[in-house]
Amino acid sequence: MVKKLIDHAMNRRVGRRDFLKGAAAAGAVGAFPAIITRSAFASEHPTVVNSIRSLSNPYHATWNAGGAAFANSVGADYVTLVTEGNSEKGIADIKAILAKTGGNCVVNVDPNDAPDARPIVEACKDAGAYVVTQWNKPADLHPWDYDPNYVAHISFDGVPYGKAMAETLIKAMGGKGGIVALGGIESNTPAIARKAGLMQALEANPDVELLDFQVANWSETEALEKTNAWLTQFGDQISGIWAANDGMALAAVEALRADGRAGTVPVTGIDGIQLAVEAILNGEMAGTVAWDPFWQGGMGLSIGYHAKTGGFDPTTEPKDHREFYGKGVIITADSAQSYFDNNIAAEPTLDWNDIWGRVNGQIVY
Amino acid sequence: MSLDTSASATDSGATPRPRRWRIASWAPVIVLVALCIIIGLINPNFFSFGNFVRMSQTAMIPLVLGLGATFIILMGSIDLSVEGILTLGAVILSMLVLNGANANDLGIFGIFIVLAVGASVGFINGVIHVRLKVPSFMTTLGVWFIGVGVANALLGGMATRINSPMIRGLAIDRFLGFPWGVWLALLCFVIALVIQNYTRLGRYIYALGGGEELAELSGIPVGRVRIMTFTLAGIFYAVGGILAAAQLGLGNAQIGNGRLFTTITAVVVGGTALTGGRGGVHQTLIGVLIVVVLNNGMVLMGVKPSVQIGVQGLMIIAAVALSIDRKLIRIVK
Repeated sequence: MVKKLIDHAMNRRVGRRDFLKGAAAAGAVGAFPAIITRSAFASEHPTVVNSIRSLSNPYHATWNAGGAAFANSVGADYVTLVTEGNSEKGIADIKAILAKTGGNCVVNVDPNDAPDARPIVEACKDAGAYVVTQWNKPADLHPWDYDPNYVAHISFDGVPYGKAMAETLIKAMGGKGGIVALGGIESNTPAIARKAGLMQALEANPDVELLDFQVANWSETEALEKTNAWLTQFGDQISGIWAANDGMALAAVEALRADGRAGTVPVTGIDGIQLAVEAILNGEMAGTVAWDPFWQGGMGLSIGYHAKTGGFDPTTEPKDHREFYGKGVIITADSAQSYFDNNIAAEPTLDWNDIWGRVNGQIVY
Repeated sequence: MSLDTSASATDSGATPRPRRWRIASWAPVIVLVALCIIIGLINPNFFSFGNFVRMSQTAMIPLVLGLGATFIILMGSIDLSVEGILTLGAVILSMLVLNGANANDLGIFGIFIVLAVGASVGFINGVIHVRLKVPSFMTTLGVWFIGVGVANALLGGMATRINSPMIRGLAIDRFLGFPWGVWLALLCFVIALVIQNYTRLGRYIYALGGGEELAELSGIPVGRVRIMTFTLAGIFYAVGGILAAAQLGLGNAQIGNGRLFTTITAVVVGGTALTGGRGGVHQTLIGVLIVVVLNNGMVLMGVKPSVQIGVQGLMIIAAVALSIDRKLIRIVK
């Protein structure tokens, strides 16, 4: 078939021998650039890889943008892997990229579930790649047990930020009244920590009553339904709504809007997504916390990259550089405009070499 | 009740049904009334007009989705593409009407485009299912993921705020105390009822569910009916997408999450048999109300969040157990 086409194009008879010669030449030309890329791979930059849950939420999409920005800054190849909430896929994809690069890569992973971190770290160590994990890992899995490949684990302590948002909310309510609270998935570590922060703030403010706490599983739809039911149950008793993330907070705002009360009942979220910052700007939300996923996506890679390329030696770093809490940015009505201008309207400019700049203490288990 | 007329389409109105079956078909209504009374006794706020309005807002989307799914289930098929088409519809709508991300402002035309998209995806569902003979379960599973995937690709993971006053008005502006979206959902219900009871397509759908080989032998164009029904369902899901986008005031690729479960639950709880041929959209209305009242009531009664999801699961099993006529079934797979 191919031979026929070539015949046609060259408008003369081609012998079997000629055809084979041509094919061999074409094959050689095809193989040549592949060899070049391969050697470039080995001698210059390790490939940088982000493995995240999905690209369908603003949080991880921004994470991905941060990764791309870092890769661009050092001129490394950038790969994004998406688990779509499937642990098996997440692990298999990482193994595939390890095999493809021959271990010459840096992996920055938000494991789909805590137990996934162990096989991912082990696979990276076997392949000689360097890995940084974020948010999820088993409590007994430590970077220093996999020297030097497991460079660091980064998480964020939900307690102080859950508390800070509750305090922001209480301040916006004038120090007293009733609040309702929307939680994340009940067994989820950040959801538990953020709720604990809320409870601490409530203990310190006896004039504020927690009317009800419901789990809306990080879902906007569920948050809308729960808030609707509360508006029936408590009506005007509700003077503030605390939500464990921005999506649920925005849904609560919509439920209030349908009731004609958006902007009069303060609402707080956590995560710092764009729509939440905009809601703070127009007075419908009182506050949120930005984890800065742009930083997470880029800096997780930068830490691994510096270790891989000899910028520092992970084995000699203190433990609070190996397992640390990052810093969140608290956004309220006062700071929303400047945050919006610097981080949302423009792509943030971060110093990717300032790798320990946001270390906020060693993780406590 | 119209159930009898619908049943007669397959039974050609022969023998009167035994009394026990009659009670079973009324069971969902009895359950709904009982639920309302119990919840109202525990928290009298349940019967307030404000709560009815809020419950109707919650019910409008599951109702519209349930109407589409009912037709598919009546044929004895299943449709898992609910979330895919809804998400795609909501995302496309958010990009066509006045929004915070681009300069489009198509208004009502945006709605028509979304309905057309829903119809086309439903049509594709039907064609793949019928022409390639892929079981509806697998076809619609695939289309579900394709729909969400395309929505993802369109928005790149971000959310688009909808600023169009017409779309937002569906959730916010009211007529006789109820938001316009609720009236739109009711209009869809009436249309579905008419299609089910007064059109040839409606009768054919029942015939297919009652016994497809028999239907084919009697000259019903089985393939065409299936494709038309999937297309029809796609339109209903697109309406659901419009309402979801209106309610949350944004379009994002996660807007459909969890909708499939509620939809199938509502259809089944209403008493439409998964085996096909029995039930109808009027029963889906009751099913949706049961699911919504129960969810609303559990919050009003202060039921623990961890218990709530379990209660929903129990409800499905109980509903199916109640609706099955065990005398007719010998083998359960």
